[in-house]
Amino acid sequence: MISALWVRTTVLDRLVVVLLLVWVVASVLWAAQRPAGAHVVVERDGQVVFSAPLSEPRSARLSGPLGETVVEIEDGRARVISSPCPTKVCMGMGPASRYGDLLACVPNHLIVRIEGGRQEDTPPYDLLSR
Amino acid sequence: MTCSAVDPQELARCRRGVFLALFTALAVVLNVFEFLLPSPAPWFRLGFANILTLCALYLFDGRAAWTVSIARILVGSLVIGNLFAPGFFLALTGGVLAVSLMTGARALAGDRLGPVGASALGAVGHVLGQLLMARWLLVQHDGLWLLLPFFLAFALVTGVLNGLIAALVIEKVATHPAFASQRSTQA
Repeated sequence: MISALWVRTTVLDRLVVVLLLVWVVASVLWAAQRPAGAHVVVERDGQVVFSAPLSEPRSARLSGPLGETVVEIEDGRARVISSPCPTKVCMGMGPASRYGDLLACVPNHLIVRIEGGRQEDTPPYDLLSR
Repeated sequence: MTCSAVDPQELARCRRGVFLALFTALAVVLNVFEFLLPSPAPWFRLGFANILTLCALYLFDGRAAWTVSIARILVGSLVIGNLFAPGFFLALTGGVLAVSLMTGARALAGDRLGPVGASALGAVGHVLGQLLMARWLLVQHDGLWLLLPFFLAFALVTGVLNGLIAALVIEKVATHPAFASQRSTQA
């Protein structure tokens, strides 16, 4: 079975796949090596509703259209520990600690973002898929 | 109007038209079927429709691949109901970049590049095109690039899978009498 498929690939095919694989691994390493962030910023519909340093442990209750989403900061990482949304994707996203990390709870209109040392203004955005 | 069976050029043209229409129809069906499947996140699609683009590329030429791909995106979006919605433009940029890479690589490498390599390139091109468009159109934030490793890894796996399926399909279809003359002129 495997050999039947293997003979249908050319040498160049294998080379292309290996090169792309190297690129994938490199991009994974690149994503894992970003510097740690310093601030947690929570936005609701493009407006900052909560901001705190990552260094001190605390939890925050943030209200959205569906109810309260609880964000916990601990060990320099932020995570969504409870959410009223039906899918709980935001809780499943795990902790965020590196600069640029993003936890989005689209149903509850909340976006948790990790920022660098300084506060900066970014344009409002949403995560519509289609 | 009747299709003259005695003129071989006319016959080849007719056959090409019929096969491309068939490939496009199958691609649209696969596209819509994929849309119905549950997906862990938006934009995670298996890309089975690309099998038919590969068939057009390998059984005919680059122009045929463009025809099948663009027609599939237009008709597929129409059926799904997102024509000219953001998702449509993501699919279009992804498709254009994917077909550019596949036809470009095929033109450069010729028969040294099989369907598997072309498919992998196409899948990665599709991801890049979509993310570029999403960055520009939807998520105006560089955090989007953090999704790139996941999308790339997923695209590589599905790309190789689709390429293997396409290789088997192409091998099968190429034995059809309609491609007998095609083979002799291409070889």
